[in-house]
Amino acid sequence: MTRYAILFPLLLLSCGRSDKKPASPGATLTSSAPARTQLKYAKGFTIDYFDRYKEVKILNHSAGSTDTLDYLLLPAGAAIPEGHAHAQVIRIPVQSMIVMGSPHVAQADFAGVANRITGVGDGQYIICPLVREGLRTGRVRQVGLEGSLNNELVISMRPGVLMTMTNPDAAFGGYTTLIDAGIPVLPNADWLETTPLGKAEWVKLMGALTDREDLVNRKFDSVEQAYQRLAAIGKASAVKPSVIIGLPFKGSWYMPAGGSYMAQLLQDAGASYHWSDTKGTGSLALSFETVAPVALKADIWLDIGDVDSKAAILARDARYEAFRAFRSGAVYSYNRRVNDAGASDYWESGAVNPQWVLADLIRILHPNSLPADTLIYYKQIK
Amino acid sequence: MTESPFKKIRLTGLLLLLLLAFLLDLSTGTVNISLKEILRVFLSPTAADPTWQFIVKSIRLPKACTAVLAGCGLSVGGLQMQTLFRNPLADPSILGVTAGASLGVAAVMLAGGSMASLYAIKDLGLSGSWLIIGAACLGAGGIMLLVLIVARRLRDNVMMLIVGIMIGSMTLALISIWQYFSNPEEVKDYLLWTFGSLGGVTGGQLSILAIVVGIGLVVALFSTKMLDALLLGENYAQSMGLSARKARTVIICSTSLLAGSITAFCGPIGFIGIAVPHIARFLFNTASHRILIPACCLIGTILLLLCDTFAQLPGSQTVLPINIITSIVGSPLVIVLLLRQTTAHPW
Repeated sequence: MTRYAILFPLLLLSCGRSDKKPASPGATLTSSAPARTQLKYAKGFTIDYFDRYKEVKILNHSAGSTDTLDYLLLPAGAAIPEGHAHAQVIRIPVQSMIVMGSPHVAQADFAGVANRITGVGDGQYIICPLVREGLRTGRVRQVGLEGSLNNELVISMRPGVLMTMTNPDAAFGGYTTLIDAGIPVLPNADWLETTPLGKAEWVKLMGALTDREDLVNRKFDSVEQAYQRLAAIGKASAVKPSVIIGLPFKGSWYMPAGGSYMAQLLQDAGASYHWSDTKGTGSLALSFETVAPVALKADIWLDIGDVDSKAAILARDARYEAFRAFRSGAVYSYNRRVNDAGASDYWESGAVNPQWVLADLIRILHPNSLPADTLIYYKQIK
Repeated sequence: MTESPFKKIRLTGLLLLLLLAFLLDLSTGTVNISLKEILRVFLSPTAADPTWQFIVKSIRLPKACTAVLAGCGLSVGGLQMQTLFRNPLADPSILGVTAGASLGVAAVMLAGGSMASLYAIKDLGLSGSWLIIGAACLGAGGIMLLVLIVARRLRDNVMMLIVGIMIGSMTLALISIWQYFSNPEEVKDYLLWTFGSLGGVTGGQLSILAIVVGIGLVVALFSTKMLDALLLGENYAQSMGLSARKARTVIICSTSLLAGSITAFCGPIGFIGIAVPHIARFLFNTASHRILIPACCLIGTILLLLCDTFAQLPGSQTVLPINIITSIVGSPLVIVLLLRQTTAHPW
């Protein structure tokens, strides 16, 4: 329990801070001319600004498809412009939302609107104290997991938008009832992005939905600058320690492919990653035997999931003792900030703060290249 | 009845084939290691490359040993069930023991709604693979007890078969409820487990699996007379002074030990249990279990070793789950054998 006691004020800081600032820019934004947002990294959505409305397209780029999901972001009370019969309408600024994923909570927190979250999929994974408090008092409801949502509850809550984690490709199979009931369903698929900044840039969607572009753009710019500065340090490092990622399960070892978010992060952190030249943006399913020659010699072992001690690693499989990183103690995972159900903040605030994740990795990979400080998301597994 | 030398020759031939299959399995994998290197790993360990040594000794050898144990256990379990129920479609999972093991694993892996309880179990010091194995053993043991209690009350083996299937489907329904309320990641973990794997059993686990499978096989060998008598019908068996209930209890115990332990360690591996007894009967053209049990051990082992070899063809970096391969490789084999069969089956 002591772990969480230390963690708690830290979290309050991150969640509370963003929540106090905003009101003033938001107030001016709701007037006629909305602040514009330009996207530099995210590939999964676009925002276009028109006189009286904004148009959001969620792109469907898997499987070479060019379909998009269209959304009209209209000020409350405004009439729907012509030629947009197929688009879902979201009334802005969104005053209440139900979010299914941890990154969505972090995005709302980033934009200073975590207090507008009225529903979440499963409360036990939430870190943000504001939302947890809401769950305790009943202001925030649990609406069930994706695929088995409590439709009646969602409809009765009348959220301004329901954000799902679904792949836009398979978007609306299970949501037709809700869309028919007039609830806009928006797949917030930040997890499909292949760069850390691209993933974080989905905060701009939250900014557009809540008319907080100014604040969000400003905060994102500082995230971007911090990330780029750190990446320059990481990439310039002379020594590139070799890394392996994850734990195999039943003989299959899932390694991030060369075009994935994780591979990009490792490159920016100045790591040498054996599979960096492989194609694909997802994971490679490799046999233990394929990974073994690399794993035996790798300097650092990262992201072993919720396994929390070296003893627990050996309990999975005693053969891991032969790995160099295991013997030297260079095993790190993103379990420093976890809640009482074991959910890690890496998946929540880490999604919109890639600069902190990168700083952690650089401190792990190149111990003397940054001023000494404690890690934020990562911890050494002992 | 003395066994003809012809059968001994066939058994010896199978034994040689088994050795070859074992070597083949050791020498194939996603990483290319020459036979010379593999021999050096075993003969002069100090001279061998430590990486090759790790791959051969810590990855391939335990996997091949697991294949031997699972191949023996599942085929003999299948043979026992086919004889007990006089049904060519019976396999070791027919009593619901495999489903019981799955239920135990599902309880651990899909504990999403009650993460706290999972943490409580972890505090007991049971974690990782042992946790899954322990849960599977509890599940399989629970169902086995249930089946044995029912078996004492029922006279008829056909009824026993139906009860076994009912218990199995009831158990699977419980798992489905659990899956329905679980997170996609947890369901995926569970799904991967149901694909079966020979690769996760090492060290102490391998020894325990070997002991349990060994006990199951010894019980099976001692029950050959009962099995032979059962083939002639329960009435005939009783006229020979054999208590049908006692025979049933012994056979159910043996099969449950075999199927339960193998499922606990490797996940449910299908097909071997149903197909190998047919292949054995075809090759040896006999109904005598004194021949069929060793034959099933040999054939089951060879088949599973070959399947494991196919699952990891060189040139690809991925291994296919063993369950897929056993069916794809095995089914055509059985169909061909049955088509060529001229004599009638003994049931």
